[in-house]
Amino acid sequence: MTEPIIVVRDVHVELGGTAVLRDVDLTVARGDIVAVLGVNGVGKSTLLRCIAGLQPPASGELGVLDRPPSDDSGFWRDVVLVGDEPAWYPGLTVQEHLELMHAVHRSSRLDVEVALDLFDLEKRRDMAPATLSTGQRQRLSLAMALLRPSLLLLLDEPERGLDSAFRSRLAAILTEYAAAGGTVVMATHDLEFARHARARELTLEAAA
Amino acid sequence: MNDVRTARAFIRSRGRGPTSWSDRYVSLFTLTVAAAVLADPLTTAFAALTATSRQVDPSRLGAGIALVALAYAGFLSLARRVGPVVLPATDAAWLLLSPLPRRNVLRRTSAILLAASLASGAGLSLALFAVLAGSAGHDTLVLAVAVLVGLSAAVGGMAAAVVAQSSPTWESWLRGAVVSLVVAAVLTAVAGSGPGRQVLAAVTGAPRSLGAALAGLSAAAALLLVRQAWRALGRIHVSSLLATSTRAGHLAAAAVVMDPGALTWAAEDNHWRARVLRSRPWPALLSRGAPWSRHAVSAPMALAWHDWRRLARRPGRLTALLGTAALPALAAQAQGGLSAVAVTVLIAGALTAAAVCTAGARRDGEDPGLARLFGVNVRAVLAARALLPFLMSAAWLTLALGVLTVTGALTGPWWLLGPLAAPALAAGALRMARRRPIDHSMPVIDTPSGAVPTGWVVWALTGVDVAAIGCAPMLYALAVRPPDPGAFVAAQAVCGIAVLAAFLLGAKTGVRRG
Repeated sequence: MTEPIIVVRDVHVELGGTAVLRDVDLTVARGDIVAVLGVNGVGKSTLLRCIAGLQPPASGELGVLDRPPSDDSGFWRDVVLVGDEPAWYPGLTVQEHLELMHAVHRSSRLDVEVALDLFDLEKRRDMAPATLSTGQRQRLSLAMALLRPSLLLLLDEPERGLDSAFRSRLAAILTEYAAAGGTVVMATHDLEFARHARARELTLEAAA
Repeated sequence: MNDVRTARAFIRSRGRGPTSWSDRYVSLFTLTVAAAVLADPLTTAFAALTATSRQVDPSRLGAGIALVALAYAGFLSLARRVGPVVLPATDAAWLLLSPLPRRNVLRRTSAILLAASLASGAGLSLALFAVLAGSAGHDTLVLAVAVLVGLSAAVGGMAAAVVAQSSPTWESWLRGAVVSLVVAAVLTAVAGSGPGRQVLAAVTGAPRSLGAALAGLSAAAALLLVRQAWRALGRIHVSSLLATSTRAGHLAAAAVVMDPGALTWAAEDNHWRARVLRSRPWPALLSRGAPWSRHAVSAPMALAWHDWRRLARRPGRLTALLGTAALPALAAQAQGGLSAVAVTVLIAGALTAAAVCTAGARRDGEDPGLARLFGVNVRAVLAARALLPFLMSAAWLTLALGVLTVTGALTGPWWLLGPLAAPALAAGALRMARRRPIDHSMPVIDTPSGAVPTGWVVWALTGVDVAAIGCAPMLYALAVRPPDPGAFVAAQAVCGIAVLAAFLLGAKTGVRRG
């Protein structure tokens, strides 16, 4: 295995007195795509939040890019999290959200026009995100995440609201991202999507 | 019992029981106690209002009429924005989409609208009487005219808003009426202090029968509008009701969690959802092609540019905001000098001018999802986002102090304090934008004036505290009004910059607000 990007050892998480994760181990190397699978409530999103530094574990060891994860801008320069839909900036269109990301990150991975085309948003470029459908807003979230440079992509149910054709395209996009040296950890319920993305599968068992 | 009553009775039987005698007793007792508690302060305020207006010159009369006209324009705008016909979410979901007669479903809402109009009309009447009493005397006829005109205006205005909800023609008329009222208020205020003094003096000397005729006419017009509104209720479109009821649902949710900030987001999101925008690229100087800029500077500036673009896309709001810079002078004129009320309006207006430009900081404070996605240093972004509120509050405050000087309420180079107080106002507005929701778990303190929920107090003062500290030299100067404010100007320059610098240095660098 090449150099590890994520190291999770014996991680234990309790929420409201109930164990959500127990003795979870995970090692992810640069260029890996890992799909975290399991039934509802098994702790997939909690594991992603732990890796993102948003949920401190009760015990265990966590390392992301050779340091403990922390919710600060230094960490978010290398790591991208796509979870619940973000609150979009008022008064900006779909294209302008992408333009903003492009302006903030000088070495963008994609041009705005390429991103609009890749995520099927060209015809929606002048719309406010709030007027888009659920699936289109999810595409915008993913387009923003993949437009900027990053080392690690954390995706919580990226297939949410997407049609089956676009799921296949997203799997290909993620495979390209990993081939270029990026690392992906995603929680998903879509086994077919995970296999399309050639992801290593990690199935969580209920802790309680 | 009609069908709507049957439906409501069915709903009540599954939830809350019918109103008992003890419920009625509690309601009556509460109203009596409220009346007893409020009677004294209201009578005192009424006496003070009428007493201060016994000897009124035309300029004060003009300012008073202008303030009443602006208040009425605000009332009509609020009625338009709220709906005004709304239903509780449950009624909108079940009773509206049923074959029940529309007017019967809306009967309770109509009663609430009438009560709200009467309450607003009472306020308008009181203000009108306070303005008229100074020149026309305190007799019963003046009181009757003020009450009739005030109530007719409020009830008629609400009725017009109800008709406008289902008629685009009426909607455009109502919008025109609001604009005309604002223009009339400005003209009256200007006329009162200059060329129109004689016209206003002639108005004060008009025969009393003219006032009585005006009152009669306004009452007749209000009755006609109410009749029109009652007819319109039967054919009001379901989509309009669903939209306003959804908005009301946002309001109710905001009231339940007691977060007034949620109200402004509901209005903001509705505004942008209804508009078609044209995408434009980010300015070249801020995007990655800029040769001079370092990434550490251009990235936060690029993120802060969102507030500039949002402001530019609402030119009407910007114009109205700058127009309100005349309000402190108007308040000073109506009260015969720079009173505490006028200074409060001055500071509140300047802070509001800064606060309307902090949408980006507010969005990131409430939901840091996008801030994490951008991954830019929080302190640097905050510093970049301070520029627009600084410029806006500086422009507003300079304009307001300039108008106060032109109208004679101040003498000297007071306008200098505008740009010097602006850094502190920007810091206060950003602190306000990043404040946490109200903490209802904080203790309630019993005081001789009643219980004070500290969570609310802390929430309301967050941001205002920093602005007040940073503007302390200016506030003190306005209180004592020295002949030469030079020392205060220097103190304000130091204080404003020091407060902004301390705020930025003290801000947490994590993505989470704090």
